[in-house]
Amino acid sequence: MMESKPMMINYIHRQAGHCESGATSNLFNYYGIQMSEPMAFGIGTGIYFSYLPFIKLMFAPMMSFRNLPNTVFHRSMKYLGVDATVIKKFNDVKESMDVLDRNLEKGIPTGVQVGVFNLTFFPPEYRQHYNMHNMVVYGKEGNLYHISDTVMEHPQTLTYDDLVRVRWAKGAFAPKGKMYWINHVPEELDIRYGVEQGIKKSVYEMTKVPFWLVGIKGMRVMAKDIRKWPKKHGNQKAAFYLGSILRMAEDFGTGGAGFRYIYGAFLKESGQKFDNKALLEAADLMGRTANKWREFTYLGARNCKNRSSQPIEDYVTLGDMMMEIAGMEEQVFKRIEKIKI
Amino acid sequence: METPAENTDPVYKNKDYGQYRELFYSYDEQGNFGKTVGYHNEPDRLVLQQSWDLFNDRTEEARQKVLAGTASPIVYYMEKILADPLGLSMMAGVSFWKVKLHFKPFFFKRLSNKTLAKYAEAFNITVDQLKNFEQ
Repeated sequence: MMESKPMMINYIHRQAGHCESGATSNLFNYYGIQMSEPMAFGIGTGIYFSYLPFIKLMFAPMMSFRNLPNTVFHRSMKYLGVDATVIKKFNDVKESMDVLDRNLEKGIPTGVQVGVFNLTFFPPEYRQHYNMHNMVVYGKEGNLYHISDTVMEHPQTLTYDDLVRVRWAKGAFAPKGKMYWINHVPEELDIRYGVEQGIKKSVYEMTKVPFWLVGIKGMRVMAKDIRKWPKKHGNQKAAFYLGSILRMAEDFGTGGAGFRYIYGAFLKESGQKFDNKALLEAADLMGRTANKWREFTYLGARNCKNRSSQPIEDYVTLGDMMMEIAGMEEQVFKRIEKIKI
Repeated sequence: METPAENTDPVYKNKDYGQYRELFYSYDEQGNFGKTVGYHNEPDRLVLQQSWDLFNDRTEEARQKVLAGTASPIVYYMEKILADPLGLSMMAGVSFWKVKLHFKPFFFKRLSNKTLAKYAEAFNITVDQLKNFEQ
């Protein structure tokens, strides 16, 4: 292992709002296709909402503003007809690292799913048990791996042992060495078809899934729960639960407002590309929804600041606001539901 | 490569926090989506600090319990790595009800070295550190 010569792939690191769509767009760019981050995010149907109060993640009800890990990569490859490989899990640590080394020797930048807790270069305020982070490995020098993590401003390095540790992080949603890469990109990509399919799938997932905690319905359930929190759990716990929503929406590399800005940017970009008025209108509405999310955060954070001496009415206001946001998002997806591009 | 100016900030209690810049999107009145690279603004920092306050409180509480002898060191180290019992049972590979038992000093004293090694690996410490709690 030690005698291997340094391998570096000429991979360009660009910072992005979201880890996986950033990695996907950077990989596309490496293969010579101009693809912005919002575009990859939209085609890969990154937007999502689910609220699962009976599962506690970091002592707070679990909610998610994005799709399951690897959906963005997998779906954007599928809809655009790109030949890509995803290895879901390995049985052996050594094997997973060997496959990675072989890929780097061939000159293929490879995406890996990792856990955040032991990631040495990551901002310390985010070091929590979160196993759905994505980054791209693009070079190896002796014991050091070169990493492009789109949350960070600059490329980073990790040692062999550290990389094993994060790729085999344990706990909920353990990555188990999952990795993915692009094999071959066809000459002409049918972006129009990709956008159409992506929007169709997103509309289904946000408005039509027959389960009451997913999509717009989930947002409404959460809005009702927010109103009840202070009575049910007391002010201290309610403030912490509220804080966890805001944390999920604003921190952890979402690009702001729980990916709503990125999705709006996607609608706008594809609207301009295909000269579609309805898409541009939807983009405007999505942007305003995202601003509303921001407003929600500011109001909520004020509530978290003085957590024991807050009247209960404020939670009712917040719940109403959440309802309004849900209504606005429903409007967006109604508008793009039967769209012809 | 210029180094970003140090982020002097009263919200974070730990000095290492908030030193990295991230990319944010925004939407303005004219209908344009913009990108900026910068630090988190105050509301975001507040909620993040709030969660760290909770974790630190829990760790401190667990430490007091261990020193008083009403809980085993496993409780303290579990809080220290921000895990809950279910997460710990996944990380260490010990079943959930056994983990719950090992929280009590009575059962912890009777643990074999093999099981202790499992926990020690999950906590990223040595078995001796786990056995001789002095913090």
